[in-house]
Amino acid sequence: MNKLFHEFFKGIIKENPTFVLVLGLCPTLAVSVSVVNGIGMGIAATFVLLGSNVIVSLIKNTVPARIRIPCFIVVIATFVTIAEMTLKAYSPALNRALGIYVPLIVVNCIVLGRAEAFAQKAKALNSFFDGLGMGVGFTLALILISAIREFLGAGKLLNHAIFKGFEPAFVFSMPSGALLVIGLLLGFFNLFKRIKQ
Amino acid sequence: MREMTRYGLILAIICAAASASLAGMNSLTRDRIAAQAKAEEEEGLKAVFPEAADFKPVKSKEKVVYYQAYGRDGGFLGAAFKARGKGYSSVIEVIAGMKKDGTITAIKILNQNETPGLGNRVAEPEFRERFSNKRIVDLNGIQAITGATISSKAVINAVKVKANQVKELIGDEK
Amino acid sequence: MKNNLLVSAAPHLHNKESVSKIMWLVVLSLLPVGAAGVFIFGVSAFRVIILATASSIVTEGICQIISRRKVTVLDGSAALTGILLAFNLPAQAPWWLPAAGAIFSIAIGKQIFGGLGQNIFNPALAGRAFLMASWPKYMTAFTAPLNYDAVTSATPLALLKEGHALQNISYLDLFLGRRGGCIGEVCVAALLAGAAFLLLKGYISWHIPLTYISTVGVFSYCFGGRGLFSGDWLFAILSGGLILGAFFMATDYVTSPLTSRGQVVFGIGCGLLTAVIRLWGGYPEGASYAILMMNAATPIIDRYTKNRVYGYTLKAYE
Repeated sequence: MNKLFHEFFKGIIKENPTFVLVLGLCPTLAVSVSVVNGIGMGIAATFVLLGSNVIVSLIKNTVPARIRIPCFIVVIATFVTIAEMTLKAYSPALNRALGIYVPLIVVNCIVLGRAEAFAQKAKALNSFFDGLGMGVGFTLALILISAIREFLGAGKLLNHAIFKGFEPAFVFSMPSGALLVIGLLLGFFNLFKRIKQ
Repeated sequence: MREMTRYGLILAIICAAASASLAGMNSLTRDRIAAQAKAEEEEGLKAVFPEAADFKPVKSKEKVVYYQAYGRDGGFLGAAFKARGKGYSSVIEVIAGMKKDGTITAIKILNQNETPGLGNRVAEPEFRERFSNKRIVDLNGIQAITGATISSKAVINAVKVKANQVKELIGDEK
Repeated sequence: MKNNLLVSAAPHLHNKESVSKIMWLVVLSLLPVGAAGVFIFGVSAFRVIILATASSIVTEGICQIISRRKVTVLDGSAALTGILLAFNLPAQAPWWLPAAGAIFSIAIGKQIFGGLGQNIFNPALAGRAFLMASWPKYMTAFTAPLNYDAVTSATPLALLKEGHALQNISYLDLFLGRRGGCIGEVCVAALLAGAAFLLLKGYISWHIPLTYISTVGVFSYCFGGRGLFSGDWLFAILSGGLILGAFFMATDYVTSPLTSRGQVVFGIGCGLLTAVIRLWGGYPEGASYAILMMNAATPIIDRYTKNRVYGYTLKAYE
């Protein structure tokens, strides 16, 4: 039980995919304009991670090492397509906001990274919790970045205006703002780590 | 060689399983996706032509060219159409309604990715309202947003070009 | 004093200059420009300059205290950044605009890299680019010259970009600063006075400004008109922020190449980029972005234009 908790929690802070492993930055940069987008992307990626981690760990003994990458990609792509169909059916607006970045979860390094580095060597249950932890860590990171960007770039949080008379700095809604915010947060995380040591 | 066949077989089995699950998922969501798309379309049409009660798509080779708008009593009111124009940093998609005499009822921006704070203000009511009750020939006189000339001109031109085409098509059918 | 910007092998002579002294002298050379800005745009210009400078100095101090470095707020570099930033702002900017710009310039543009001498980009221009991307509405609302009632007016370059013909603005107007624009860019006469002082004292070399300005002139003459070789080169040189950028921003010691050969490359690059942005880009003025882009290219220019160390052949040195 303790082991499973460890697999789950390591993804949130100690091995956070965005701030510590620095994986999957492309969707992070692109969709973190608003908190709603961030949560949507986070949930979609978590779903894909969970599915692919479990399946990969189940088929790990059948798949020969030399063709594992194409096999994993097929599995991942299947889950991504399922996620995309669900999004289209139940939240077309969110699907449009996330745009190309939903199908691009296929090439999100976190997903393939976890399949390679963890799921293909671990039991299905452990892989499930690893995927869940990584997914939640990714989602939390997205929420943090997108909250900062939405607040500074549009003066809103979850589409609600916060202050009257606040002049939003549009740069934070643009890709350059995403780079700034992620860079500064990475810096703070490293600083934090150094102080703790 | 035997090794290769084995690899191919395993990959084929995985792909088959993936396709099967996707086919299942598709049959589950297909109707809902179509319904969502239709609802969205209707919403857009209603927004630019509030007086109309019914819209009929006019197609040419499977592609919708424009929509004929009919009133509650079934009378022909005008048309609604989508238009696209190259803005400053994206293709702006706009939907517009036009009465049969050639005055624009309203426009709505469906899709754009212009500069926040400048170009993306074309989606705001303040700019969109400048189109209401304008005849096609008056569209050129619409004032562009300060600092966002390219985006504004893209919307104006897209609407103008398509409005002229649709106007002719309506004329033909009468 | 001719070669005092040349980097060469040891032995070196110390020439009794200090960073602080140079910085304050550059500030001094900018005084006439500031005075002209205040005269042209009124007291609000003065307010912007003071706000930007004060915020720069305070931010520098806070950053240095937080990062436990030596506090050097009085070495003039922060003040210079603040002044240059203010010169790149419209006079009617709301009070928080210069403050936000100065905080960004110093904290993100300079201190995060490690302070004076470590920054890749000219801090004042980084601040301007940040403001331009963040609050374009306020950054492009210029006041008409010599009209203290805050009537807005577009800059000559912006008018040209939107396809208006330029009337009733003469070269003399451009030279003296009777036009809309940023506080420090309009009065070419004052800018040239300050630049002449720095050039004569040898604090800046002629390489970057001369190549930069002449490249813009030649390029605009060739491609700026309706046909080839019919562009208005004098207008291109006098308008926008070119003179301010060429003499005071592109020559920043930290972010421009060290050797004179490198500086020539740098100046030509700035000139080409500025002219291209003006003629075919989305913005009416490109001097600030051109310099920022060339700042990014400075390390590689330096690498290929190193001076030969005495006793080494070029090959062995590389």
